[in-house]
Amino acid sequence: MEKKIEIKNVSKFYGRKQALFDIDLTIEQGMFGLLGRNGAGKTTLMKTLAALHKKKSGEITVCGVPIEKAREIRAMTGYLPQDFSMYPSMKTDEALDYLGALSGIPKADRKKKVTSLLRKVNLIEHRHKKVKELSGGMKRRLGIAQALIHDPTVLIVDEPTAGLDPEERIRFRNLLCEVAEERIVILSTHIVGDIEATCENIAIMDEGRILWKGTVDQLLDNARGHIFTSNVEKRFIPQIKKEYIVTGMLSQNDYTTVRIVSDTEPDLPNTVLTEPDIEGAYMYCLHSSGCDVKGGEE
Amino acid sequence: MLFGKECRRILTSLTFIIYCFVVGLFFVSQYFEECNGDPYIPDEKISEDHDVIMHGAVDDLATEYFANNYTCYPYGFYKTVRLKDKDSKKVRDCLLEISGLTNDEIMEIRDKGEQYYIERGTQNIMYYDIGEMPVSDTITYERFCELMGQVDDILGGGSNYKVEDIVFRYSYVPMTDEEIEGIISDLYDKDGVAGGYARLFSDYMGIVLGIMPVFVTAALVSADRRKRVSDLIYTRKISSFKLVFSRYTALVVMMFIPVILCMIAASIQLIRNFDFSDLALYRMFTLPTFWLLPQIMIITAVAMIVTEVFSSGIAILLQFAWWFHSNMSNGERLSGSIGKFDLICRHNTIYGRDEFLLSRNDFIFNRVFFFIAAIVITALTAYIFELKRGGRFNGFRLFGKDSIFRHKT
Repeated sequence: MEKKIEIKNVSKFYGRKQALFDIDLTIEQGMFGLLGRNGAGKTTLMKTLAALHKKKSGEITVCGVPIEKAREIRAMTGYLPQDFSMYPSMKTDEALDYLGALSGIPKADRKKKVTSLLRKVNLIEHRHKKVKELSGGMKRRLGIAQALIHDPTVLIVDEPTAGLDPEERIRFRNLLCEVAEERIVILSTHIVGDIEATCENIAIMDEGRILWKGTVDQLLDNARGHIFTSNVEKRFIPQIKKEYIVTGMLSQNDYTTVRIVSDTEPDLPNTVLTEPDIEGAYMYCLHSSGCDVKGGEE
Repeated sequence: MLFGKECRRILTSLTFIIYCFVVGLFFVSQYFEECNGDPYIPDEKISEDHDVIMHGAVDDLATEYFANNYTCYPYGFYKTVRLKDKDSKKVRDCLLEISGLTNDEIMEIRDKGEQYYIERGTQNIMYYDIGEMPVSDTITYERFCELMGQVDDILGGGSNYKVEDIVFRYSYVPMTDEEIEGIISDLYDKDGVAGGYARLFSDYMGIVLGIMPVFVTAALVSADRRKRVSDLIYTRKISSFKLVFSRYTALVVMMFIPVILCMIAASIQLIRNFDFSDLALYRMFTLPTFWLLPQIMIITAVAMIVTEVFSSGIAILLQFAWWFHSNMSNGERLSGSIGKFDLICRHNTIYGRDEFLLSRNDFIFNRVFFFIAAIVITALTAYIFELKRGGRFNGFRLFGKDSIFRHKT
């Protein structure tokens, strides 16, 4: 069985509103990042891949299985929703056991799996805590554990790090990388840092369309020659933000070093061309696709 | 496997604890208290004697007509009805036909009744002490029922003259000693005591079990959406039929356990109050199970499907309306007749075995019908659940931001 998800010309509507426009994407084994702003259509695509939403047109096959065969898709897919939540009064191990039972895992295997997964996500000491007593990061780790309980070929993870503190975010990203060794992991996020740290292949979405797809290196190459830094007086900052896409600012005394995304070299003092970072490359991708990304103040 | 887990979820829910408390309280306050000690022995019976019924009804009708003050209980709520001249004349015409009197003779009776009050200085005459009204020799019981029906319609329903209830309201006559002995011996010989008590037990428990299961069901079924767990459940491998039927069976079994405990308590009470050799104790378990289990099943099934399609609130409102209608439609009749589609079957006495057996076929049809309907509805719920988890149906929301009444742009 080939570990690959193929998405061809997929469209999706909510009533009359079109949410996905002719999505074409091939996702292979390993970590795949789906990057985009809030409302870009990432969750809709994730839910369509998890057989939770019905597409209007197009084709999706998950490891050769058409998405219409929902039962088979469910058996091979693990899903961590954006707003992961579980019955609050259930204990952590009980919650995992319950979801394992719904995944059809025999009782004897379930007990072992629950213990090993709780150990893997570092929740073994909190196994008797009620779900409502877990912190945000712990809940997210429980979320990953529940998505892995039936050992799925595909893991769909929707905005998993939103709201986590930096330490938890790093821990979570590392966990994702570990589990991606043998399966397809699709990580949807609007946090560029998550993608940079974990994914080799990515796609960028906006308003229901795929704007760009390729490797992280290709994205960086794409932006090469369009990322600049300038050392400017602080008083010019509002004006610069109106005219350019500013991706970073570092203040030193009366001067600020600004990082700018631009098609051409900005007409600013002390401007130098810089090596692109992923954040800048992402902004350049949005900008070059015609999206309004300037953060100017009125 | 999953069934056990669902049972555990139900067991630890607050709604189920409240359910157990209310069912237990109802059992103790209604059945247990009433059945403590020696059995109540009735001294009246329903005669179904047409003369007795017609005399009683025409007396009441004349009294209310003279005062133009009719007591009605539409849907169980007390209401006083005062008729306008046109309607009042229609009632008078019925009264004339039943009594066989002329208008002048009727007025004479009214004046006599008024005189009684005028002599005592009462101005607001609400009740006429008119003695006994005559009943025409020529009127048949069928025609009398027809006229009673017309009067009830004029009064807007729920009056003392509702045709289905007049037998139970106006035909009580004292029982002879032989008759009293007869019903007591029926209780011992034919019902094995427990059979009679089982009917009363089922009657009382049917009232509380006509409404309470909806709360437990609606709470459990809506929990996925309320706790935002739906997507997690939907993406599991389990089939919709297996999941829905596991939950359904768990709900029915868990909600029936308190009823079984009440049956045990009722049996212990019987053992304490009666000679054990007189008791056919198994009847305290068989009849209530046949009586009450289909009721819990149908309410649970309907609550599940309504919660899936609409919301838990709608399920509760709908069940309340059904419960209320079923309770009220029995009217005065608390025993003796069970309709084919009555949700709540009534037989509010430990006696009346023969009377109960007259409705036996309808009663069996009723319970089997609800049993089968419950299974069919649950299968339909599983189908709706499958549509929902595949994103092909999202249910109808009557309120809130997803309301079907909101204009969508």
